[in-house]
Amino acid sequence: MAYRIFIVDDEPALQKMVKDILTQEGYETDAALSCAQALERFRCAAPDAVLLDVMLPDGDGFSLFGKLRDIRDVPVLFLSARDEDEARLQGLGLGADDYITKPFLPQELLLRIKAVLRRVYRTVSTVSQLGKTKIDWGKSNIFRDGAEIALTAKEFTLLKKLWEARGNIVTIDALCAALWDGPLVGYENTLMVHIRRLREKIEADPSHPRFLLTVRGLGYRLKREEGQ
Amino acid sequence: MKLRSLQKGAMLVTVSALLIFVITLLGWFAFGCYISDGGRGWNVPISEYSKALTWDGKSYTFTGENLLEEDCWMMLLNPQGQVVWSLRKPEDTPEQYTLTDVASFTRWYLEDYPVRCWVRPDGLLVVGSPKGSVWKHDIAMNTQDLLQIPIWFAGIFLIALGSVLGLAWLTVGKWFRQDQQVRDAARSNWINGVSHDIRTPLSVVMGYAAQLEDAPDISALYRQKASAIRSQSQVIRDLVNDLNLTMRLDCEMQALRKEILRPETLLRQIGADFLNSGMETEADFEIDLPEIPLPEMNADPFLLRRAINNLLTNCVRHNSPGCLIRLGGKTVGKWIVLWVEGGMVTDSTETISHHPLESDGGAAHGTGLRLVAQIAAAHGGKAEFHNSTPYRCELWLPIKES
Repeated sequence: MAYRIFIVDDEPALQKMVKDILTQEGYETDAALSCAQALERFRCAAPDAVLLDVMLPDGDGFSLFGKLRDIRDVPVLFLSARDEDEARLQGLGLGADDYITKPFLPQELLLRIKAVLRRVYRTVSTVSQLGKTKIDWGKSNIFRDGAEIALTAKEFTLLKKLWEARGNIVTIDALCAALWDGPLVGYENTLMVHIRRLREKIEADPSHPRFLLTVRGLGYRLKREEGQ
Repeated sequence: MKLRSLQKGAMLVTVSALLIFVITLLGWFAFGCYISDGGRGWNVPISEYSKALTWDGKSYTFTGENLLEEDCWMMLLNPQGQVVWSLRKPEDTPEQYTLTDVASFTRWYLEDYPVRCWVRPDGLLVVGSPKGSVWKHDIAMNTQDLLQIPIWFAGIFLIALGSVLGLAWLTVGKWFRQDQQVRDAARSNWINGVSHDIRTPLSVVMGYAAQLEDAPDISALYRQKASAIRSQSQVIRDLVNDLNLTMRLDCEMQALRKEILRPETLLRQIGADFLNSGMETEADFEIDLPEIPLPEMNADPFLLRRAINNLLTNCVRHNSPGCLIRLGGKTVGKWIVLWVEGGMVTDSTETISHHPLESDGGAAHGTGLRLVAQIAAAHGGKAEFHNSTPYRCELWLPIKES
């Protein structure tokens, strides 16, 4: 079932462009050009997420945000030309799921929407595939070559953190912060040990890893498989 | 505030003070003239009355009636204190005076009549005015103090002038700052408004260009053109963002949200974001951090990220794909130096510049590097642009005070 995105923006050209991008990506869309129109259509549209402009002809998006949330608790992403810290903090402070500033690249918009939808409507399926390795997030273990391999709590957290950002570099500091509380100085070597053990469990050849790659000086990256 | 404006203000206040002084003096003079009665009464020297009173061997003759006001009176006492001549003398005044009486009325009043006295060879001339018409007071002053009066007056005048100048300095300064704030706010609002209006159409341009760039049903040439439109739109976007922030920093409208930061964490995150944003294919990237952890710093992570991103993007834009870009940090005395190095410069002479426009060599790229310098300055540091090969930019930031 396709997710339905409700776009509230007073600029028809931009609205059409966003609709095109979303439709092309398989989303359903509905739109409004003003606060009044948004309130009128929102209930019938029953969207899964809202893209909300801040400056609207008959009011501001921040006020509209509260009214929409009163009707239906859906994820809201502000899409605004206001890039000041104050506006950004106000939007996120109200409880918005993201704040995107114009101009934006279509890919950035899609990734952010996807991230929010993934977070809010987490799929029940808890099994993922990494090459020939199957990861069972529910049981915190992996299956490789038919054998079940248990992950320690730290290895599981590490793998989850890397999986959530797969394709991207995750810094040593971000991984340490995910594994340990408090000051992170001195944990780098311990992290390397955990990485090495995780590689032994998920990689066919841990000395020449295919998926869990080191980015020298920065951190690690869980490589996406071709076509993912 | 400009020195010239201050000089003008100070000059204006000084001239005003002098004008007040001159007007006050003139006022006193005018007041003196106003209260004077044309050479009669207390304003007529008593010696004139004395001259007008003459003895012809038999009797006294007074010829100064026109000098004496109608309600004033005169009398002449002989050396024994007896009245030997008088003109309109009140009835309640005695005919005979003792030494004590004379000593008293010469200084104060005679039966409540204000009087003036003049010593003559034949006695003491007394000129009286109506009761309550003149206030008399005996003044005595040390001569040394008397001579100091001009100095005191000058001193008090200078203190008053200094106070007025100080007050004027503060007031003019406040007005000037208010004016400046109004001008800055207007400028900032205008830039903010324009950039706000640019953002929405730019979103549409970038959005459609990016779609065309990936469209399989158009030729590679057109996809390439769409790619150029998209990338140049991104340049405009960055310029608009920089312009806004540079304006806010210029007008001191950007509040610093300082946090305690570990430089390594910040640099690694910036490096990772740089590569994650697709720059991996554009440049060869290296991070160079010392083995000993760098000291913490108290800084705004958003602004520092912006500054270093600008330097990294600058390196990518001005160099051919695949060039080596290095990001690093080190400690120099009480400073943490965050640096970006990469690419070549055409001028082989190595120079260090603190002015970003000089090293960048063109106004088109000026905003980005100017912003870097502004961000460093906002943190109490500086930016250095080394016009060498490889091109190197350094951000000098103070170490967190313990």
